[in-house]
Amino acid sequence: MLKIKKKRLGFVLDMTPLVDITFLLLTFFMFTAKFKSDSENQQKVEIKRPRTTVDTAKLAERDLVIIKVGVDSVLKDTAYYVSMINEQDIINLRRAMTTLKFPGVDEKSVSYKVMDTVQLAQIIEQARLVNPRASFAIDADKRLRYEWIETAIDEMRKKKATTFNFVTEKKM
Amino acid sequence: MAGGGGDLGGGKSARRGKKGKRKAKKRLGFRLDMTPLVDITFLLLTFFMLTTSMITPQTMEMNVPPEIDEPVEVKESELLTIRIREDGIIFANMAKDNPEKFTLKTLQKYVADKNVALQNRCIVVLKSSPNASYGLVVSVLDALNAAEPEILQGLKAAGINERKRKFTVSPFDKVEDEERIKGL
Repeated sequence: MLKIKKKRLGFVLDMTPLVDITFLLLTFFMFTAKFKSDSENQQKVEIKRPRTTVDTAKLAERDLVIIKVGVDSVLKDTAYYVSMINEQDIINLRRAMTTLKFPGVDEKSVSYKVMDTVQLAQIIEQARLVNPRASFAIDADKRLRYEWIETAIDEMRKKKATTFNFVTEKKM
Repeated sequence: MAGGGGDLGGGKSARRGKKGKRKAKKRLGFRLDMTPLVDITFLLLTFFMLTTSMITPQTMEMNVPPEIDEPVEVKESELLTIRIREDGIIFANMAKDNPEKFTLKTLQKYVADKNVALQNRCIVVLKSSPNASYGLVVSVLDALNAAEPEILQGLKAAGINERKRKFTVSPFDKVEDEERIKGL
């Protein structure tokens, strides 16, 4: 016992490779880290995405209108949350929504909570006007009734947005 | 270690005459305590590792025909109807046949077989009850997508290199559709 202790007394381990790798990993994670945007932070809607096996396409990062359908964790009601991605689109859509006197719009709103079909049609139309090239993505909770999604598809169809995406997650 | 120390000593003695003009030699055996640096680095590393989510969302692309006023006439014999009942049971049938129960696996096989047999002319229609869960609808769409490679292969074997996919979602008729899959 005593012998072993004495042997380790002046023990120095070369930490350089360890530190090298640690720094490498640290820089990697720092650069790849993506922080939640304001709009994601605002809402308290948790979405469990449906899992699929065959899709490999990644979600576009520009020119996108996201229609989230989820259950509010506080109020326990289901609603559509429509938001756009491009900075300029966000500003233009906000301006359009303010002109329309949409309920609950202020200078900071990014995502719009929609409760009924008429409002959904309105906001889809505005989004189409703001950026005609933008594609639609439906990000809905898998436990929801299909009716919610069907309504959204119908409204998009009426506004000639016939190609859209379902946001899914890869099945492991 | 010992060599470095000796070297350091030698350097010092040699420089004594020059009155310390060059300071670089003083750093020869220089050691900095890296422990706090490594501590902080590890802390940051763990933080970033735990906060990054590696699962990026994927997308499933959907194409629906635009809304047109006049209905398009299709041959009923080439129509494959998939119905999802509100209790989550999937039914499928060709043309006017009686709907049969399917699981996701058997549905995939069925759709692939029919598509190959009809050589691109098969039209798949998905009708889902508004009360079925969205997750199930996506699973069915996923099964249809998964059938595609099989169809391509089958068509190639039949000498067709082109694949024209005909698919649409259509509303679930409360009276007619419900009646057809009732009690099955």
